[in-house]
Amino acid sequence: MKNTSYYCFFLLLVTLTAVAQADEKTEYKKRVLETMEVNLLSSYYTQDGENAAVTGGIGTEELSDIAPSINVLIPLNDDDVLSIDATVSAYTSASSSNINPFDGAQQADPFVASTGASGQDTWFGLSANYAHSSDDRNTILSGNISFANEYDYTSFGFGGSITKLFNQKNTELQVKANVFFDSWRPQYPIEFRESFSLDDYEFTGNANYAANYSDFQDVGRNSYSVGASLSQILSKSVQTVFMADFVMQDGLLSTPHQRVYFGDIEDTMIENFRLGNDVERLPDTRTKLALGNRTNFYLNQTFVLRTYYRYYSDDWGINSHTFKVELPIKIGMNYTLYPSYRYYTQTQADYFGEFNTLLSTQDFYTSDYDLATYDAHQYGLGFKFYDPLNKFKIGNFGLKSINVEYNYYERTTQNFSAHITSIGFNFIAD
Amino acid sequence: MIKTLTKLMLISLFFTSCVAVKEYEKINLNDPDMKLSERDLDKYKSTFQSYREAAAGANGGKTGGGCGCN
Repeated sequence: MKNTSYYCFFLLLVTLTAVAQADEKTEYKKRVLETMEVNLLSSYYTQDGENAAVTGGIGTEELSDIAPSINVLIPLNDDDVLSIDATVSAYTSASSSNINPFDGAQQADPFVASTGASGQDTWFGLSANYAHSSDDRNTILSGNISFANEYDYTSFGFGGSITKLFNQKNTELQVKANVFFDSWRPQYPIEFRESFSLDDYEFTGNANYAANYSDFQDVGRNSYSVGASLSQILSKSVQTVFMADFVMQDGLLSTPHQRVYFGDIEDTMIENFRLGNDVERLPDTRTKLALGNRTNFYLNQTFVLRTYYRYYSDDWGINSHTFKVELPIKIGMNYTLYPSYRYYTQTQADYFGEFNTLLSTQDFYTSDYDLATYDAHQYGLGFKFYDPLNKFKIGNFGLKSINVEYNYYERTTQNFSAHITSIGFNFIAD
Repeated sequence: MIKTLTKLMLISLFFTSCVAVKEYEKINLNDPDMKLSERDLDKYKSTFQSYREAAAGANGGKTGGGCGCN
């Protein structure tokens, strides 16, 4: 499968290059990107809930994450732009800390974070995208490559796209393909490790505790996606885009440190903590389809209306709908407010069961409440300062804009909520 | 729902023959807030949503893979 993917990717690049060359014309052309741009972004995210998947659907989901990011857009010549993006995401997670809840510092409890090393981690991601535009600017070819790493997960991906504009640039068609070759370094819950012995603890409940458990043999996860989008200008003030993504995944699609408790096996407790009966087991393939539409309306010099809808379906039994509306409000030349609302709803995966309701006789099971049925609302307010003259300088770069945004997210059918605050500075070279 | 969206996509193809806004008429469409993509700061929301929600894709961002999420 890997060889086939590489071969297809190579063929795609060759074809795209040939198409681009066929379109080349010699006439005056504006640079695709006039000057280098640098975006410095950062976000602070917190969440809390009481259905942690690490502890089988019951327990604290408290988590905080800070994620600075830098994105640099470099015009290599009139036609080519290189984009490089680097992000570091440092988080602390109460539920992940309970991969090993028996730290001796306090009573083991799914609602209390332990002091173990698994309670924090750093994710690092680096990606690069190269885009080439034809002389008439009606064809854009791009290729991308990405790498990401955290303590228990590494990802390598690449892809490409071709975009064609026609009908006086009123219509834009894009086709893209991406693959990811990821691998887990599983961190199993402490009670499933060879070093664990029930005799070392005072326990209550089932004295014949024996986890229904074995290590995952295949720790790779591959994702193959193809997508298409069609943009269309509908009038001088309205434009729309239809998007479709089809994804196939195979390999280890379960999360190896997420416990499951079976309803048909008596619990074994150490302090306030139930020992897991197994980790979640999900099928090793998944096929996803997402169809979306984004339509923007320029209402007048003050208001723009941005709308988004997505339908999603996969062969694990999940169907979802996403609606989003955003109303940028321009206040003078330099300021814009961004109030927004987003609604999300999904049905549960076929393999989902609430805490302690799954059966040991099932082939697949999970108590990850992210795969449960739920509705979620997200309310946001953003603010942008825009300076067309770039008067504030740092070295050879002028500040073009500052963006600040806050969003509150809550699930109505679960006790889960999150806050995310983001800030971004956009600089352009003189 | 899929049929409806497919029909909408096909219908939009017909717009190509009946609408042609000239470059000099695109001043409103060229407003930065009219971009048919997510805004820069949206990438953080998309990331946490890809962890906390089962759905992904059809938004110009990640479709799956590249993280220990869905």
